[in-house]
Amino acid sequence: MEQLSGLTVRETVEKVAASLGCPTTSERVAAFLDDHDELRHLRENFFMPKIADLPTSDLSLVDGAKDSIYLVGNSLGLQPKMVKKYLEEELDKWAKMGVHGHMQGSRPWAWAENNLEVLMARVVGALPEEVALMNGLTVNLHLLMLSFYQPTAARHKILLEDKAFPSDHYAAESQIRLRGFDPEQSMLLLKPRPGEETLRTEDILDVIEKEGASVALVMLSGVQYYTGQLFNMAAITKAAQNKGCLVGFDLAHAAGNVELKLHEWGVDFACWCSYKYLNSGCGGIAGAFIHEKHQYTIKAALTGWWGHDLKTRFQMSNELELQPGVKGFRLSNQPVLLVCALQASLEVFNMTSMQLLRRKSLLLTGYLEYLIGHYYNEDPAQAGKPQVRIITPSDPQQRGCQLSLCFSVPIQRIFHQLERRGVVCDMRHPSVLRIAPVPLYNSFSDVHRFIQTLEASVAASCQ
Amino acid sequence: MEQLSGLTVRETVEKVAASLGCPTTSERVAAFLDDHDELRHLRENFFMPKIADLPTSDLSLVDGAKDSIYLVGNSLGLQPKMVKKYLEEELDKWAKMGVHGHMQGSRPWAWAENNLEVLMARVVGALPEEVALMNGLTVNLHLLMLSFYQPTAARHKILLEDKAFPSDHYAAESQIRLRGFDPEQSMLLLKPRPGEETLRTEDILDVIEKEGASVALVMLSGVQYYTGQLFNMAAITKAAQNKGCLVGFDLAHAAGNVELKLHEWGVDFACWCSYKYLNSGCGGIAGAFIHEKHQYTIKALELQPGVKGFRLSNQPVLLVCALQASLEVLLSIVFNMTSMQLLRRKSLLLTGYLEYLIGHYYNEDPAQAGKPQVRIITPSDPQQRGCQLSLCFSVPIQRIFHQLERRGVVCDMRHPSVLRIAPVPLYNSFSDVHRFIQTLEASVAASCQ
Repeated sequence: MEQLSGLTVRETVEKVAASLGCPTTSERVAAFLDDHDELRHLRENFFMPKIADLPTSDLSLVDGAKDSIYLVGNSLGLQPKMVKKYLEEELDKWAKMGVHGHMQGSRPWAWAENNLEVLMARVVGALPEEVALMNGLTVNLHLLMLSFYQPTAARHKILLEDKAFPSDHYAAESQIRLRGFDPEQSMLLLKPRPGEETLRTEDILDVIEKEGASVALVMLSGVQYYTGQLFNMAAITKAAQNKGCLVGFDLAHAAGNVELKLHEWGVDFACWCSYKYLNSGCGGIAGAFIHEKHQYTIKAALTGWWGHDLKTRFQMSNELELQPGVKGFRLSNQPVLLVCALQASLEVFNMTSMQLLRRKSLLLTGYLEYLIGHYYNEDPAQAGKPQVRIITPSDPQQRGCQLSLCFSVPIQRIFHQLERRGVVCDMRHPSVLRIAPVPLYNSFSDVHRFIQTLEASVAASCQ
Repeated sequence: MEQLSGLTVRETVEKVAASLGCPTTSERVAAFLDDHDELRHLRENFFMPKIADLPTSDLSLVDGAKDSIYLVGNSLGLQPKMVKKYLEEELDKWAKMGVHGHMQGSRPWAWAENNLEVLMARVVGALPEEVALMNGLTVNLHLLMLSFYQPTAARHKILLEDKAFPSDHYAAESQIRLRGFDPEQSMLLLKPRPGEETLRTEDILDVIEKEGASVALVMLSGVQYYTGQLFNMAAITKAAQNKGCLVGFDLAHAAGNVELKLHEWGVDFACWCSYKYLNSGCGGIAGAFIHEKHQYTIKALELQPGVKGFRLSNQPVLLVCALQASLEVLLSIVFNMTSMQLLRRKSLLLTGYLEYLIGHYYNEDPAQAGKPQVRIITPSDPQQRGCQLSLCFSVPIQRIFHQLERRGVVCDMRHPSVLRIAPVPLYNSFSDVHRFIQTLEASVAASCQ
């Protein structure tokens, strides 16, 4: 349910509490929000771990039969229930007919991943011909950069975040070296202003304006993994292209999290993994996007037989008939087992839309923010309690599901207490927790239970 | 069982037939060889398709309850029975504990593939630190070439087979272009002599000797996919390195097929897929090898020394499960010899038996005029081939192939006249080979009608 037509999250929570005659921090508010959540049934499509099954649970503290408080779908998404059935279908086919499986069944192995491209394209706001499923994210990033990063003496820089995800940083470094340039000269890192943690859009645009003439490639994440900041991809793309730069995004934390319109924004290329918000399991098959405008002009630098036109691919003529666009970037035969896992997940996304998921997410994450603000503020009555500063932007348009919470104390011990009590979330040394309530399967009650458990954990860690 | 201590395949077959009092072409010879095959029980570790389950079978012609005659393990290996159980273990873990699976269980996802690298290394004759499991073959080939192919004006060529597997050809072409060179100038293709189909080792060494100074990289397959030729990797590596070239092999058709000693031979790098003779399923996780001599000198895009540093992405545990099931079977043999040695010993007899029967039924005997002839393209020297025989028919084989498929044979056809038949020691039997020959006879007859 949306914020009751135009109300802010705060107003929504207060209105619900008032109507129920309870405090805004009551679990009854969470229950009400869940009852009115049109997407709550989507949770049933996933396996939610029970507290008793987690290796860190202390059953003297919590009821093991309850659902865990799983708020780490930004790192490893839950398993869609249909994965097992689809895997069994392919194992069955393999056992029954061996090599014939390439051409038979609902997922002929020779083109199994192609069938998912329509569903995947919907999630990232692309045309099906602009999307390929293949490899892992970093592999795809490198393959794309080999074609999109072609520096010259004048235009040689790559613009990226100062604390980009390590793979992005290493990828840029190595691509620069490969082309005979020096990372010291050619990596342009965007840093926040002193005292700030996130990047201001105007500052990003400013750098692009000033330096753009020497920038070959602007390559940012869509959502920053550490801060949870959602970048204004439309504005950045436009500004960078105005300066003659190519623009690519690492969407590891954006795909399946926020609304993307890669085609409409004119983004040049993008890539993403599928084991986070796309729930396809550890190491799941990754994605790549190339805008159709480049279909016939930007070609794969490195080719292999899987980029060859399917109709003649198995004739082995050694005369490459390269498919246009991103399809020509495929190198290897893709694993059908991974296709099964991603199919199960994309089918759940297809039961709703990124728009509806995003709408729930704004309220769900807003609710988390509201409760954090209530319990961990600078109220003198709470002196002695740790304070929590939310690093992630407070503007909902500049964030996804995740909030990065920076504690005023080291959180090792708090995190340990959270884990004992069935919370699954992510800790970044020394003082940050990343909490990601995911609209696909998390509830308002999950958020409420998290806050209660955080209170108990903070208390327990002070003893 | 070996060729009865030092006998050729022919002598073995004749001796067995004599002892049984039957013709050499009798199925009783096949049955005897199966009974004495120490590795026959390995077949039970795999799902062998039944004829009735194949989409091409004509049950009016064959008994659908019988095992298919599956001789295409060189293209897509059979499923090890343990795959499902291992997958279920990981699905179960994922369902139960989500992200904690990275650090828990028998296959912590954060390093699941590392555990297999020890097993994989044994199959290719490498040290564990020289092997990484990752990606697909062509991806690995490109990652390796980015580091190993660094041409200069003087030394810029890549030497490869004329009819290399398409990916190898495209890989070389695109790497050459990436470095600013011209494939027309920088791709040096090894062609067979006129009238021949395979490459003579002395000719390969000759080209290396003559052209080696301008060759940056020698990059051949270990076993040629079309002809089935097994190259003398040791000699080629030595000769090429003597000329200052780096040497890499695409082992797609060699890994799990023939004995490899990558470390001992000093091969610089190699890569392979795992869905052929390594039976890990369509698109299974691929392998890469870099000799330890390069550990600290040839760097990838990342940080760890050697080949492990070439890994870029988090590897998929579902694929690790599939390969694990396969490698456990491959290495389950515990005798004096290594597993690949034992498999190879059976393979020499198994493929030799196929060759013997082909020679019996499809030769130039005038009594057989009117029947197609079959020329075996693959070298007759067992040391120069793996499991596969490439059979070149004197007629287009589309119709024969169709008749074979109707009768439960699964093999590979290369237009217009070649069949690739690969009896795999891990799960094929001498009876499979005998039944194939009988079915071929019936298919040839049926296609002439």
